[in-house]
Amino acid sequence: MDYLQAFAISASGMAVEKARVDLTAVNLANAQSTRSADGIGVRPLRLVSAARSGTDFPALLAGAAGASLQGAQIVSITTLATPPRLVFEPGHPDADENGFVAYPGINPVAEMINMLTAVRAYEADVAALNAAKAMALRTLQIGG
Amino acid sequence: MINAIEGLGASMVKLALDAAALRHQAIANNIANLHSPGYVPLAVSFESQLEALRRGQAPGKPELVEQLDRAPGPRPQDADMEMVALAENTIHYQALIKGIGTQLAILSAVASDQRR
Repeated sequence: MDYLQAFAISASGMAVEKARVDLTAVNLANAQSTRSADGIGVRPLRLVSAARSGTDFPALLAGAAGASLQGAQIVSITTLATPPRLVFEPGHPDADENGFVAYPGINPVAEMINMLTAVRAYEADVAALNAAKAMALRTLQIGG
Repeated sequence: MINAIEGLGASMVKLALDAAALRHQAIANNIANLHSPGYVPLAVSFESQLEALRRGQAPGKPELVEQLDRAPGPRPQDADMEMVALAENTIHYQALIKGIGTQLAILSAVASDQRR
């Protein structure tokens, strides 16, 4: 059994889910931010992940024999074009001529659900890793 | 000689251990890709090849197959199914280890002429 491969698969999944939790934290941290560097306002970030398909020799060899077992990877980080949340605050330095301030269209409920889903998926990856560990240790008991 | 004692059982257990190890990787891959759009869950086809071994033919290696009848990802709702398959496969693997351990114990009893 190729334990390193099994560990690497679970680790790749854990890295993706950790990045997803990081993005949720960024979104929640900026839920009240009214300015951004590019001037269009803060927008919620979403992580796009996919099955990893490497191009090195072992990957191509595995791919030639059928589907490949290489875990997951982060493809890109995109922004959602959600409309801003307009709040009437005439004294605010970022208020427009009508007195409305554009807060980012970040939905705390959606963010929390994203975070919980990512945490659960992370826990599933940890369980798979522990199962691989149990199998590896069990193998050492052959003939013992 | 040793092959004669081990017989078909040991060679089948070895193949089954390989299959269980590969199946673990397939399940881990499915779990790692719970949120990947368009990902098709993987499985290992092996038990059908055991039948070939029983008929006296050389069995093929366990191979990965895509489960095209299941919906492609993202499918976080399938996490429980994958966890059940993971637990089942781990116990199956440990049972196989136990089996090969028993066979080796028999071999060791034969080699020691039952003197302890």
